[in-house]
Amino acid sequence: MASWSSGRLLLLMESLVSKDLKVRYKRSVLGFAWFLLKPLFSMIVYYFAFTRILRFGGAIPHFSLFLLTGLLPWNFFSSSLSASTGSLLDNHRLIRSIYFPRMALPAAEVVANLIHLLLALLVLESVLIIFGHYPGLSIVLAVPALVLFTLMTAGIGMLLSVGNVFYRDVKQFVEVLLLAWFYSSPIIYPLDSIGVDIVGSGGLLTALKFNPVAGFMEIMHSVFYAGTWPPAWCWISLCSWSLLLLLAGVAAFRKAEPVVVKEL
Amino acid sequence: MDGVTLDYRLYHDRAVTLRETMLNLFNRKSSTEHFRALDNVTVHIDQGETVGLVGANGAGKSTMLKILAGIYRPTSGTASSVGMIASLLDLGVGFHPDLTGEENLMLNGALLGLGRSDMKVLVPGIAEFAQLTRFMDTPVKYYSNGMFMRLGFSLATAVDPDILLIDEVLAVGDAQFQDKCYRRIWEFRERGKTIIFVSHDMEAVSRLCRRVIWLSEGRVVKDGQPEEVLSGYLESSQRRLSDPTASPREWGSREVWFDTVTIRNVRHAPSRTFRRGERLVVDVLIRSRLPNPVDGVIFGFSLHRSDGESIIATNNLELNQPLLRIDGSSRASIEIDLDIEEPGAYLLGIALTDPTANKDYHWQEYFYPVTLLEERKEPPLRLSGAVWKQE
Repeated sequence: MASWSSGRLLLLMESLVSKDLKVRYKRSVLGFAWFLLKPLFSMIVYYFAFTRILRFGGAIPHFSLFLLTGLLPWNFFSSSLSASTGSLLDNHRLIRSIYFPRMALPAAEVVANLIHLLLALLVLESVLIIFGHYPGLSIVLAVPALVLFTLMTAGIGMLLSVGNVFYRDVKQFVEVLLLAWFYSSPIIYPLDSIGVDIVGSGGLLTALKFNPVAGFMEIMHSVFYAGTWPPAWCWISLCSWSLLLLLAGVAAFRKAEPVVVKEL
Repeated sequence: MDGVTLDYRLYHDRAVTLRETMLNLFNRKSSTEHFRALDNVTVHIDQGETVGLVGANGAGKSTMLKILAGIYRPTSGTASSVGMIASLLDLGVGFHPDLTGEENLMLNGALLGLGRSDMKVLVPGIAEFAQLTRFMDTPVKYYSNGMFMRLGFSLATAVDPDILLIDEVLAVGDAQFQDKCYRRIWEFRERGKTIIFVSHDMEAVSRLCRRVIWLSEGRVVKDGQPEEVLSGYLESSQRRLSDPTASPREWGSREVWFDTVTIRNVRHAPSRTFRRGERLVVDVLIRSRLPNPVDGVIFGFSLHRSDGESIIATNNLELNQPLLRIDGSSRASIEIDLDIEEPGAYLLGIALTDPTANKDYHWQEYFYPVTLLEERKEPPLRLSGAVWKQE
């Protein structure tokens, strides 16, 4: 019906994202710093849990920095998914009174979180340099990896956002899913990217590699923390999962959109 | 819109959880029912038309607007439009309570396709129209409801749309602001914009619109001139009025009765809508079953508000007019001139009585809905004089 040029769509995305950023830090003293502080605090918790209590992080030098290279992208992933799950429901009045491409709503949540991630990664990179983890040439791979991962996140976000309109259970389910997903992903432990062998090399390793997030996390660890070239399986996994989940997300969203508007 | 149908899934209990779905899946029964909000509606609206949509609640008016706005996709049929649409379906929807008036304007312009630079230019005008220039840096959560709506209205109409969809939102703000809103809408009308207007305010619809579409249960009942469609609509809606006192009542011995009743204007055209200064004529054919002619029959009429409040009740005896003599059958009429102080929907009733025989022959109370409107005159102004002076 009303046709939306790409320029107008871009404008809409920009306004949704800046609204999100503005609203998030209204009346908060530390404001924007929270995006750094949150992973920093969880890093401290994991650090003590793993080095002092479980005695496992010791095998990895600068374990805290290793943790951060995984926790920052994970934080992006989990915040994006939680936010986009509720994005349609939270904006039901808007959706029911003006036409605009509604896909922009979950997408804007992902982009807002991506901006945070990029800033946090900049800070992380400087800290890594201070501690002697100089980036190698492989750091350029972070760009395509982040692009692919963002597309994957957006795809999952779209699936969850329409799912949540039909079944409010989705929101609860996402919380549990993220918890399980976190521990089954190589975020606070490495698989085979940095030359430290913790998981071993059996059926478990192969199974863990099928995790859609595993490839990306291993790429993050190797390009930021270790400065090495990530193994090929990471790229195969990341590319195929991104493509698959993005297409699934967009297709499901397109299909459900006319019904969703009436269900809200 | 061409043959547009729209179905809703109907829930009898909104709490749908996964468990129920699973159970339904296993029971192989579908618990969803469909509700047809619009049923094969075909409407063509030309550029520059001002169209009013009327109908009872749930008749499909808002659904139709939402389809035109592109919010709903028809279940079947096609809907298309040319030009930019501004929809005033709900005001201030994109506003975030924590952001200031100005921030909200800047950010929500994008929904209407306006960038930051466009908005920078428009914001002062929008703020001024909403009478909120002093509150532009206040978070909108501290706004009163009226202020919030005013800002929403000003933003929605600040863009220059080709098509304006309005859904009953004009009940915002005080009388003064409502006036302003109407003036802005009139301005759009004067500039040849297409306006589609949903309202329960018949007065507003008849003033603003040149065409009225009456919807009922998802179908177009009537589509045409405002007077004609509105009177039909008012008549039917008054028939369905739940208030028992105001629903039509008819009683009497019917020894003498109203056989046919026509309500018309002075141009001999049947009508139920009368403007100020227009004469209302009730033509009746009275028949009698009595063997002898009856003399001194009183022919009265009454006007009630649609809620049943009695306004006028009088008859030929009271006003020293000739009484009727009925012999078999007879034609009679009342010519009524009204000073319309409050336009609106009224119910006309008529009665035949014989006080000497102490008989009520035939009463029809709350029986004929009529719509009394303000006068429209061409030209609306007439110069009665002008004097130039120089000292």
